[in-house]
Amino acid sequence: MSTRTVEYEVGRSPEMGVDGKPAYGPLAPVEIPEPELGSEHMLINIGPQHPATHGVLRLVCELDGETVLKVIPHIGYLHSGFEKQGEYRTWNQIVTLTDRMDYLAPLIYNCAYVMAVEKLMGIEVTERCKVVRVILMELDRIFGHLLWLGTTAIDVGAFTPFLYAFQEREKIYALHESLTGARITTSATRVGGMMADLPEGWTEACRSFINELPRTIDEVDYLLTTNAIHLGRTQEIGVISAEDAINHGFTGPNLRASGVPYDVRKDRPYYDYETYDFDVPIGEHGDCYDRYLCRMEEMRQSIRIIDQALDRLPGGSIDIDDPNVVLPSKTDCMNDMESMIHHFKLITEGIQAPVGESWFSVEGSKGELGMYVVSDGGSKPVRWRVRPPSFVNLSVIPKLAEGHLVSDLIMINASLDIVLGEIDR
Amino acid sequence: MGMKETESTTPIDAPGAPQAGTPLPGGGTSARPEGSGGLFGSGGPTFLTTRLDWVINWSRRNSLWPMPFGTACCAIEMMASAASNYDLARFGMERMSFSPRQADVLICAGRVPYKLAPVLRRIYDQMMQPKWVISMGACASSGGIFDNYSMVQGIDTIVPVDVYIPGCPPRPEGLIYGLMMVQEKIREERLSDHTVNRAEDPLAAGHPRASAPEIEGLTGPFGNSTRQNRLSGLVRTSRISRPDDRRP
Amino acid sequence: MTDDTPFDAVAAGPRPSDAHDPELGGHPAEVPDHPSVTALRATFGDAIRAHQLHAGDENVVFVDPAALYAVLEFLQQDPDQRYDYLLDLTAVDYGAGTPIQVVYQLWSLGFHRMLRVKVELPLDALEVDSVEPLWKTADWLEREVWDLFGVTFRGHPDLRRILMPANYAEGHPLRKDFPLRGRFSRAEQTRRALALEVDDNYTVLERELGAEPQIVPAAPAGEPDDGRGSDDTMKGE
Repeated sequence: MSTRTVEYEVGRSPEMGVDGKPAYGPLAPVEIPEPELGSEHMLINIGPQHPATHGVLRLVCELDGETVLKVIPHIGYLHSGFEKQGEYRTWNQIVTLTDRMDYLAPLIYNCAYVMAVEKLMGIEVTERCKVVRVILMELDRIFGHLLWLGTTAIDVGAFTPFLYAFQEREKIYALHESLTGARITTSATRVGGMMADLPEGWTEACRSFINELPRTIDEVDYLLTTNAIHLGRTQEIGVISAEDAINHGFTGPNLRASGVPYDVRKDRPYYDYETYDFDVPIGEHGDCYDRYLCRMEEMRQSIRIIDQALDRLPGGSIDIDDPNVVLPSKTDCMNDMESMIHHFKLITEGIQAPVGESWFSVEGSKGELGMYVVSDGGSKPVRWRVRPPSFVNLSVIPKLAEGHLVSDLIMINASLDIVLGEIDR
Repeated sequence: MGMKETESTTPIDAPGAPQAGTPLPGGGTSARPEGSGGLFGSGGPTFLTTRLDWVINWSRRNSLWPMPFGTACCAIEMMASAASNYDLARFGMERMSFSPRQADVLICAGRVPYKLAPVLRRIYDQMMQPKWVISMGACASSGGIFDNYSMVQGIDTIVPVDVYIPGCPPRPEGLIYGLMMVQEKIREERLSDHTVNRAEDPLAAGHPRASAPEIEGLTGPFGNSTRQNRLSGLVRTSRISRPDDRRP
Repeated sequence: MTDDTPFDAVAAGPRPSDAHDPELGGHPAEVPDHPSVTALRATFGDAIRAHQLHAGDENVVFVDPAALYAVLEFLQQDPDQRYDYLLDLTAVDYGAGTPIQVVYQLWSLGFHRMLRVKVELPLDALEVDSVEPLWKTADWLEREVWDLFGVTFRGHPDLRRILMPANYAEGHPLRKDFPLRGRFSRAEQTRRALALEVDDNYTVLERELGAEPQIVPAAPAGEPDDGRGSDDTMKGE
């Protein structure tokens, strides 16, 4: 394994060197001597109920001393039958299932699902809806990354970032709640538009949130980025090369930490992402530390996108003008016979999607989130399939953890940013 | 001094009774008139055991160590409850015990598929008595929106549940309220019922709590959610009255 | 399901469910050329059964199951194709005894091209070659398709259930003939779930590792070459 020269600040008030600048000490690689004693391989089981597995993941490890020889992940402990359930739900009812799938960034899943259905039905949503969805998706990218930041910091022994991250998450909870009425299970989107338009004062609250957030990110940055313990726990841990990452299907920040500049927002832009000015952070070494850096930078870039989107937020209707897809307003429904009929038909039968199938993928907070819907012309899908980014990312953990220590396995697992609700579905 | 008048009809004649004015752990003083009162009264809980109940229940309910069995969305709200805004530590419950051996209350937060059911049962069996179980959220309580092939339709088919918290997911306030309901339930417990309430049946370990016909009844459409209040065994669910906690 | 669709006339014959809505972009005769499909037709000829366009810009190629591995290998390796991402691997069951489709969603990083490859497997021959040697992504995804649909992947290194419990006996849940609430009663499902022994949670390989302690002899002093005896033991298994 190639060693990387690591420099870190020694303490908060570093000693001054001869030239009057802070003295930096290199993190020297430690030569671990070959064991002289005989050893016995050990099989240990981590999970499914374990505080460090980020859910009900179960890892069976074969150990030689403290070194991991082999990891066998067992998943399915949270298999909830989402896809089967979706075949018994109308197109709009599935939205409520999507946010229970990834409860760390629910709005991205809400949006991705309706985008696939809209593509299948050939619906072009209004400009306002597009911008609102961009804001919501970027907001939940921050939402997901903040939780990842807090829990991962706990795994390496730092509790403070958890409290900082949840302080900010509470503000996003409040934004969710004022928009949808729920803190986590938002179900904010509908085919052809949104459940409701942004409430009064929401954009100002969102603006003030993104104005305050960088301070917290900087504080966590200050706590972790040059922290010797954090560096020692993350650098050179769980390294994967770009070729392997592609072959294993890595996407999202995990892939970009290995140096592959693949981001769905840039490569297959949707909702005018090509017109937003933002950068995609790319790592170099593909280790846990680069994954950390990528996510930290992604939060800053998301703030930039939200800032631009709030500036360009157009007026007008948020729903498309198609009575076969969008519910009429309550006033119309009570005063107009035709609206009443449409309302009745939409509620009792649901939207009718044309025969066919569509695949739509967005850049989720965990990686590329694909939605694949197949319709036979009815009001319910024949098949609703989610391409789960965490599922694919997690399948690489046997390769990443091989040869590391058990404590590194915990860090590697944390650095992948998994969510079991979506892995097991 | 907050003295209470005792009913003089209670036959108390054993020797060694606390003298009037003796300070007691509850902060009050013995209300017995001189010459009466005793440890071993015939019939019913005696004066001293009642006060011991109070002390033990007080200490138990104010340092509950939860075992967070978090699986899905509700686990995130549970984390939010423990974080700075809601701060479970105010109620003496911030010490999340990830080992079931040292835990008092099992918070089952999130959906439980059949694949996870033996894990839940094992964790419950591993916990020491006295133990309480909170079923947090709609999925844990009744299967929620997941009425399909893989989901347990309410964890009360697997383990006995003390408090159900509705919501999808419940807000942190809901979880805190549920934990306070557990406190309320502990407050009502009596040591004299302990052998009945807290007996461990080693043969029950690893088996579903409910019998097969009961599971069928519970898991029918809308079955579990309508039966939960009766199953929970809560004496009062309407309000939380905590007069004792106000005393020093 | 609708019966009168323009697709009924196509000889390659996708079933009505696959037919394309004419409003959304195209009569089958007007499916524009896709460079990969052209190359595939030139290389594999009749093994390429049909080419469809869905939802405006999604190219779907139906392939003979026998030629699937060769087709996907060509798509991955050929310098003009280079589909280096297997984005998704799943299956679709339309029910009523129709064949199960296995769907491969490919993406080429270099050419910015997307292609969906499908094979149709009749219910009495649910078997197709594993593409795990080509894309490691396929490892878990194929296990999932096996678990939920019962499609066997020839040559997969470790084809066993991934989401459902190891002792699950009710079948493959995402098949259309599988009832939503499962085949067994709730009481039986609960009983079976709790009847699982601790050992049942481990695979055969893991049980072998855990059962017999492997005493690795200490390396004799002065023989540095033998110092990594533990690794040799692992290879020997």
